[in-house]
Amino acid sequence: MLERVAAGDPGAVRDCMDQYGALVWSLARRLSRSPADAEDATQEIFLDIWRSASRFDPAQGSDKVFIAMIARRRLIDRLRKHASEPPMEPEEVLESVASPEAESAAHVSLEAEQAARALAELRPEQRRVLELGLLHGLSQSEISARLGMPLGTVKSFMRRGLIKVREFMKVEVAPAGGRAP
Amino acid sequence: MNPSAPVPDDALLDLLVKRVTEGLSTAEQRELDVLDDGELSEQERALELAAAAVALTAARGAPPLPASLRERIERDARTVVALRPPGPPARRPWPAAAGWFAAAACLILAVAGWLRQPASAPATTPPLAQETRLPVHTPAQARAALLARAGTLKAAFGKTADPGSAGVSGDVVWDPATQQGYLRFSGLASNDPSVNQYQLWIFDGGRDSRYPVDGGVFDVPKGGGEVVIPIRAALAVRAAKAFAVTVEKPGGVVVSGREHVVALAQVG
Repeated sequence: MLERVAAGDPGAVRDCMDQYGALVWSLARRLSRSPADAEDATQEIFLDIWRSASRFDPAQGSDKVFIAMIARRRLIDRLRKHASEPPMEPEEVLESVASPEAESAAHVSLEAEQAARALAELRPEQRRVLELGLLHGLSQSEISARLGMPLGTVKSFMRRGLIKVREFMKVEVAPAGGRAP
Repeated sequence: MNPSAPVPDDALLDLLVKRVTEGLSTAEQRELDVLDDGELSEQERALELAAAAVALTAARGAPPLPASLRERIERDARTVVALRPPGPPARRPWPAAAGWFAAAACLILAVAGWLRQPASAPATTPPLAQETRLPVHTPAQARAALLARAGTLKAAFGKTADPGSAGVSGDVVWDPATQQGYLRFSGLASNDPSVNQYQLWIFDGGRDSRYPVDGGVFDVPKGGGEVVIPIRAALAVRAAKAFAVTVEKPGGVVVSGREHVVALAQVG
């Protein structure tokens, strides 16, 4: 699909929106400050997708995780630009956070299933930190304030949680900074 | 303090995690640049993959795109594909460091590294579908339209110490939101694509300044006059700070020898 987009196949553009539109729209709605902002973000994300399609490498992950990476980059940029705007209300955030289930996530992609299994192994408060940060776009400071949790703990939970997901995905990397343990 | 203790690794990872999850402040980015030993891109990509996978866990059962939004996106797609220059942007791996240039007399860029890229793809071009090859705008028209958008950046190219810079004038326009941009030059010497080509590099404030983003190769035809060239950024540019044009071998280079920096523009 992405290869066809990269090759300029106009039919692939429509297929791409059929297949990934809901995914991008879902991410944009979660990580935007308003519905109008989500629409603008979605438009920008698809522009990024059209431009980046030629760089998709199936060896590095599924098409869906590639799309999600592109979407997240754009959404994080936009969140930073609008950092002064008030974030979502905590009740709205917490109400909409669902516990990911591996069986459901498996219908999305292998990576989603692996991530759901990793999240299921985390302590509830650690999982909440990842969900608020990654699914709802709250900053670490915002999470700290919302949950009454020290910022250092939020950082630690986020770091360890992502490493746990990375391990479940079997992504191997060299130690950060190349430092000896 | 034991220098091999894991604390610095955690600090480094915390910065990477923050960059992946919410972005860094200028001060934090500087701190990360200091700690970066050239191995971080792999770490960052792994963290981005993990974050994206978590994001996917919540994607099930999502509603479809609203019809009006879908129409806007389709319109964008028609324009983008139609304006796409021939030739695929080469797949670029993450960089390994190499030292490089101090350029322009009027612009001082502290650039300590240069993006290392794979050997450029041969001149095999995936064919664009015929209907999408029909231009809906000329590059000059598209540039003008882009310039009219709110948020589009514009910067003038200045002279450098390279003789090829003499008599060159022009500017760059860049829209951070859509990642579209155009170079416009007068006086830039025509090139023989079988001998050499021009190559654009974009310095991104959101990335290590040693690793500018490849903006694609381009040619200037004989005949003089003004040329407008679409920018083909190989990676997403978060905060364009400067644009540099070098003369390279056909197809562009893996590592610039930076012998010929013929144009340089600084944003802001």
